This record gives sequence, structure tokens and C-alpha cells, in this order.
Amino acid sequence: MRTKTMLFVVSLVVVMSMLLAACGSTAATTAPSSGSSSMDTLVAAAKAEGNLTVIALPHDWCDYGDALAGFTAKYGIAINELNPDGASADEIQAIVANKDNKGPQAPDVIDVGYGFGPQLISDKLVMPYKVSTWDSIPADSKDPDGNWYGDYYGVLAFEVNSDVVKNVPADWSDLLKSDYKGQFALAGDPRASAQAQMSVYGAAIYNGGSADNAQPGLDFFKKINDAGNFVPVIAKQSTVAKGETPIIMRWDYSALADKDTLAGNPNIAVVYPKSGTIAGVYIQAISAYAPHPNAAKLWEEYLYSDEGQNIWLKGYCHPIRFTDMQKRNVIPADIAAKLPTFSGPIAFPTIDQINAAKKVIGDNWMSVVGADVK
Amino acid sequence: MRRKSFWSWVWIALGAIYFILPLYATFDFSLRAKKGVLSFLSYQNIFNDPNFWKTIEFSLVIAVFTIIASIILVVPTAYWIRLKLPQLRGMLEFISMLPFVVPAIVLVFGLIRVFSGAPFFLTNTFFGTDILLVAAYVVLALPYVFRSVDTGLASIDVVSLTEAAQSLGASWSTIMFKIIFPNLKVAILSSAFLTLATVIGEYTIASFMVGIKAFGPYMSLIGQNRTYESSSLAIISFMVTWGFMGLIQLFSRGKADSSSLSGAR
Amino acid sequence: MLSKQDSLLNGKRDAPKARPAPLPWRNWLGVVPFFLFAFFFIALPSLTLLVGAFRDNAGKLTLQNFVGLFDPSILNAYWVTIKISLATAIGGGLLGFLMAYAVTVGKLPNSVRTSLMTFSGVASNFAGVPLAFAFIATLGRTGLVTLLLKNLLGINLYDQGFSLYSFWGLSLTYMFFQFPLMVLVITPALDGLKKDWSEAAANLGASQSLYWRKVALPILTPSILGAIILLFGNSFGAYATAYSLTGGFINLITIVIGSQIKGDIYYNPGLGYALAVGMIVVMSVMMAIYYMLRRRSERWLRK
Repeated sequence: MRTKTMLFVVSLVVVMSMLLAACGSTAATTAPSSGSSSMDTLVAAAKAEGNLTVIALPHDWCDYGDALAGFTAKYGIAINELNPDGASADEIQAIVANKDNKGPQAPDVIDVGYGFGPQLISDKLVMPYKVSTWDSIPADSKDPDGNWYGDYYGVLAFEVNSDVVKNVPADWSDLLKSDYKGQFALAGDPRASAQAQMSVYGAAIYNGGSADNAQPGLDFFKKINDAGNFVPVIAKQSTVAKGETPIIMRWDYSALADKDTLAGNPNIAVVYPKSGTIAGVYIQAISAYAPHPNAAKLWEEYLYSDEGQNIWLKGYCHPIRFTDMQKRNVIPADIAAKLPTFSGPIAFPTIDQINAAKKVIGDNWMSVVGADVK
Repeated sequence: MRRKSFWSWVWIALGAIYFILPLYATFDFSLRAKKGVLSFLSYQNIFNDPNFWKTIEFSLVIAVFTIIASIILVVPTAYWIRLKLPQLRGMLEFISMLPFVVPAIVLVFGLIRVFSGAPFFLTNTFFGTDILLVAAYVVLALPYVFRSVDTGLASIDVVSLTEAAQSLGASWSTIMFKIIFPNLKVAILSSAFLTLATVIGEYTIASFMVGIKAFGPYMSLIGQNRTYESSSLAIISFMVTWGFMGLIQLFSRGKADSSSLSGAR
Repeated sequence: MLSKQDSLLNGKRDAPKARPAPLPWRNWLGVVPFFLFAFFFIALPSLTLLVGAFRDNAGKLTLQNFVGLFDPSILNAYWVTIKISLATAIGGGLLGFLMAYAVTVGKLPNSVRTSLMTFSGVASNFAGVPLAFAFIATLGRTGLVTLLLKNLLGINLYDQGFSLYSFWGLSLTYMFFQFPLMVLVITPALDGLKKDWSEAAANLGASQSLYWRKVALPILTPSILGAIILLFGNSFGAYATAYSLTGGFINLITIVIGSQIKGDIYYNPGLGYALAVGMIVVMSVMMAIYYMLRRRSERWLRK
């Protein structure tokens, strides 16, 4: 009797371990597809790496603050945040400079402007990865091989200190009115800032130019400068609140975030130019030299999950999977209620058009508009 | 004597007005976090933020190490060159001015490239990174430290002092620590102040090396989206740095009084 | 020294030195730490600068970046930067010197001196975004002083043609960190002016101004020149303040470099590096001029 029980138990154990071994090896040998077992492997591998390094992510930009905190809370992976004020070229430079570095200075993931996509591939700076929700990302917003993928977009709007400016401008042409003498500024240097450059590009599209012709934008800004309405300083939330630059052009998500932060002190109006505005798309990518590739992949999975996309939505950005999420009704009602709505024309220039416009605007800004101050 | 004093007060008064006005304007703006009332709300928000305390502590510690490292590096070198190798003085001056023309972003990426791989591997650990950060700041502070020390050395007769000390049998370390350092007290103090201020507010190098652990990047993070807090933070960092300098001044006064040999004043 | 007096009196040759001359190589040992440091932490990292200046975006060797230096807008950028650096170096040097004078030779109370020194320490590095905003809050269109002048005295600064967002506005802002830097650097030199000298001059019947012209200023000139070149360099390399206050609208070379290396628009680090090499060249020229001037002023100090 006892031998029989023993035999039974032993064979049970052997069979069980064989089954377990088979399961284990199956999970290891098949490529990860959508399925909880591969996600678990990814989570385990990421946790083993223990750290994630990100770059140029201000906390109030599309509510990245909550995304970073949420990721750490959910997976227990600490995040090193580099260069919060950085621009796209800073991020690319950081990857290039840290090629041999596996320390906490090397960024794992980047979030750069749409126009940089081709360069990321040609300079071999990124590793391809397709998140589990890949298919719901619109085709024109991603690289077919998974090297880069759009994450969110916003459109340009006027951010106005309505305590100082009683008659809020409604359209591009209003910027030329004499009511706004010495009140309008850009949020950056058109030779270095995407926001400022897109403002000039947007002005071009709705004031005599087109997506292929950015020159009229420069002429339009020259007119604003000649009318004495232009303040040649880089505008920020503080200069708007002070009343020094009460009208600026900003991404609508930044303007709405400013409006929330200032909470009426002063009152901010976010106005979309009536005749139309321009969209700015950003893209995500994983560095080819990432010291923590699994943590990076997990971060992307997090951002592209419904949870992550809703965080961006909370920050007033249009997440790239917006249409898909709307269809499946996974957007919480309170966030949906605060969404910025604009029904006018929105221009979505292609990568080539953007890069061409960059050159025209950057090269000619100083000579056409720049106050050549001696 | 009276007349001389009068004009001295005039210059100081002019200087004071010039400096105080912009600071007052910032302070005034920082008090307006609550609409229509003057309040210290923005200051409370900063002091209640644990990241403020963490980052300022981190940067102060880095600053102290940078001050010590630069003084140990520069004072003996500048002294030695004045004494024995005056022909190298031009080269030393030129090197000391290089940090002005090498953009900080080039320096930080260059340092990472050189020290991240073999044989140094400094960047792989947080401790190694901090060492690299101190080294980078010694480079940044070099122009100021060298110029202060050089000016100080110019006003004491290095050759005579050294020869007198040697004829009395002093060793090199006695000369350095009991004669040269005390005579350069004011210059070293100036260097310490300049280095401290440089390190506390520095952004570019800190942001790529240690990210938001340092005070400069923290200030930038606040400054982007918190209007009133960024003004109060500017005032707070000004006051903290000023306070710390006052401490350094007190500390140095206690130490140096007993062994000062200078008869300049 | 005794031997010198001997030779002066008797025309004899100098007596042999009391100690044997040290071996020359040992002298160089004293500067090894510094040059090692400079090699590893300044030269090596900056090598990227030199090497990168000769590469284009694809990594191939090229001289195109240096050709790009001669673009009129870039030459203009160098010129404007040099102008603002000279203006703030000399202007900052002047008021800084006067303030330092006031608390040293001018015999103001020690408390004033301590406050000035510590304050200067902080103010010399109060730059970038906070400084730009402080000046906007003071002299901007809605600034404290602007409004004060408008409401109290009826003077509208901006109608009179003043603008903070101009060359002079930026210079005024730069002065905020140039004055204190001058104060900190020149005070040790002013301290070194021995009281006995002014007393001796007075005993010999010299007036204050004669003392200053013939004794004090010649002694101080090398240090003053050194301080001014430091102020020049400080202003020449300034980036954050200029960008925050006037970015895009005043053509400064540091901002042009920034737009090539950082930023969202251009990405041509090779050109950026070449521009930085250009800055090194300009700086070297200024240092050469300074060196010449300083050697002349130190001539009488050499034995």
C-alpha cells in the first residue's frame, strides 16, 4: 500500500514538474504576443532592472507628473528624470553622448517632435518595439517597423490674461489690431523652439500661405512687429500672469494647464483662432543604447494602455489612440467633459512639410522679423 | 576723510538701489499667489515640498566639496607658478578662461563620453557620478577661483615671504598652510562664495548628470509651471545662498584671526 | 638683498647663491596635479568640440562648418556678443571698482563690507531665468519702476524709446552679475594697497589724486585688467540670461550655438562646435590683447 502511494505521489510530482517545465519553456521560446504571460515576463524583467531613465518630461506637460508617479506606484520601478527643460535635440544628443554609458545618465526613452522621426532611424538611435495596443495607433502616426510611434498631439491656441486684456482676440488677424500694442509674444525662439516655430508656420497656413509655403508666416509676424504689438521676449506662464505678455501662442494643453495652475489668479482665456490652427504631434521611441530596455518597453506599454492614454487626456493632450478609446467608451466622463473641443480646421503637416518649414522659418526669422538690434 | 566717506556712501547707495529693486520686484510678485491679497502662500508651498529640501541639501553638499577641491587645486598651483615658473602663467590664465567658451552642454557630454567607458566607469554608480559632478563644477568655477587667487597673490610679495620662511627653516606644508593660505584669506573667501553660487544654481551639467536630484533642475521644474512659486523659489535660493556665505565668512574669521600675518589693512 | 647692494656699491659681481639652485625638473612637479586635472576634465571632454567641428551630420570629415562661420548673420552675432561683453565688462568694472573702493580704502564700516562681499557672492551668480524675470518685473512694460515713473512722474519709459528687450536692456541686466563679480575679484587687490603708501605720499606732499594717478592705480592696473578680462569672458559665454530675456531677437553667438546643438528646429552640432571653436579664437585674441596690456602695466614691477 505504502509503496503504491509513494509511487503515485512520485509520478504525480514528476508529471507536474514536467508540465511546469514545459509551460516555462514554452513561455521562453515563443515570441511575446498579446497575452498575460509575456506581459508578466516583461514586468519581471523590468523590475529586475529596477530603474528607468527619462528625459525632458516637465510634470505639467500632458500631466507627465501623474504618469511618472503612476508607473512607479504600479511597478515599483524608480525613475531618473534628466533635463526637465530639454528640447528634442537635447534628447537626441543625450542618446548619442551616452552610447557607451550604462549609468543613470543614459536616457531609455525619448519623446520628441514628429519631424525627428526619419533622423532617429537614419542615425540608428532607436530600437524597434511594438506595444500590445499597436494596431489601434493610426497608420500615419507611426513607423511601420516600430522604430517610433506618435504619442499625443495638441493644437496651437491663444493663451490670454483676460484680467489685463478685456477684448480677447478671436483670430489670427486680430493680432494686428492696435488694441494689443506691446502685448503679444511667442513662447520661444523660432530658431530653437517647436512651439514658436509652429506659431509662425500656423500663421503662414491661415494668412496667405499653405502647408508647403511658410514664408507668409514670416511676413505676418513682420506685420505684427511693425504694428508695435510684438514683445521680443520669451513668454512663460509667469510673464503672462504678470501682464507683461498677456497674449501668447501656446499648445492648448499647456495653456489649459496654465489656466488650472493659476486658478483665476489671474483669469486665463484659451482661444482657438477662428480660421483654423495647426497640430503638433510628438513621438515616442526607445533608445537603441538603453541601459534598461525592459523597463523602457514596460513604460511604453504603460503609456499606450488605456490607463496611460487617459492620463495624457487628463493633461489636455489628445492621445494618439483617442478615436479607438472613444469607440470602446473607455474615457471617464469627467475627463471627457473637460476636453478641449475645436471644430474649425486643423492642419496636420507631414514630416517633409514640417522639416521644410523649419528651414525656411529658422533661416529667415532674423532677417525678416528679427529686431536687428545694434 | 569726511569727503572720502561721503562718496563711498554714494557709490554703495547707488549699488544698493540697483541690486535691491529687481529683487524687490520679484519678492513683491511672489507675494501675490492669492488674488488681491499679499500672502506667503507661495513660500509655504515651497517649504512644504520635500523635493525642495532634498535637492538643496544635495547641491549644498556638492558645493562644499567643490569649494574644497578647487582651493586645494588652484592655490598651490597659482602660488608655485608665481614663485618658480612665471613663464607658465599665461598658459594657466588661458586654461582658466576656457570654461567660459566651452558650452556647458558640450562639457557635460564630453565628460560623460570620456568617463563612462573604460577605464574609468565613473558613471555607472551614483557615487561615481557625484564625483564627476564635483569635477565638472571645479572646471566651471575655475575662472573665478583662479582670478581671485591670482589677484590675491599679486598683492602679497610671494617671493620674499617664501624666502624668509625658508631661511627660518619652514617646510613646504608650513609655508602653504601657515603663510600663504592666511594671507590669501580674502581671495579664498571670494573664491568660495563664487563657487558656492555657481554650483547651487547650475542647471545644464546637473540636469544631464543627475537630473532632478540637484537644485538647479528642481528650480527649472518649478519655474516652468508654477508662476508664484518660481519667484518665491528665486528669493529663497538667494537667501539660502547668502546665509550659507555668511556662515563661511564666520567660520573663516574664527580660523584665520589667530594666524594672520598680513599687514595690508 | 645684500648681494645686490654689494654689486651696486662696488660694481662687483653678485655673491654666489646661498643654496644650490634646485633641479629644474622638480619645479615642474608642483604644477603636475593642475595640468593633469586640466587634461582630463577640460581638454579631453572638449576634444569632442574640436573633432566634431570637422564633421558633418553624417559623420564625414568636412570643412563646411568653418565655411559657415563666415555667414554675415553669424559674423554679426560674434560682433554683437563682443560688443555687449566689452560694454558690460567696462561698465561693470567701473561701478564694481567704485563699490569695492568704498568698502576698502573708503573705510566704510566692516558690517557694510561683509554684507557687500556676501551679497556680491550671491548676486554674481543670479542669472538666467530668475534674473530675466526680475528685470522684467522691474523695467518691463508692466514693471515696478516703469509704473512708478509713469504714475509719479508722468514719464512713460517705453514711449521715450527705452525697451528692456534691446541691446541696452540686456546690458543693464548683465550688469547685475558683472558688478558683484568685479567687487569680489578686485577687493583683495584693494586690500593690498598698504596704508603706509598713501601716508608716505601724503608726507611727501602729494595730493589724493596724484597719489591715485601715480601710485595706487599703476599698482592696481594689472589686477583691474585681469578682472575686466574675467568680466568679458563671463559675459561672452552667458547664455541663459540672454535667451530668457531676448531669445531670438538679439543675435548673440551663444544663442546661435544653442539653436544648432539644442532646441527643436536645427540639429547641426558640427556647425555648433565650429562656432564654439570660433568663440575660443575670439577669446584667445582678447586674452592676447589683455596679456600685452598687462605686461606693460607690470613692467615697473619687475626687478
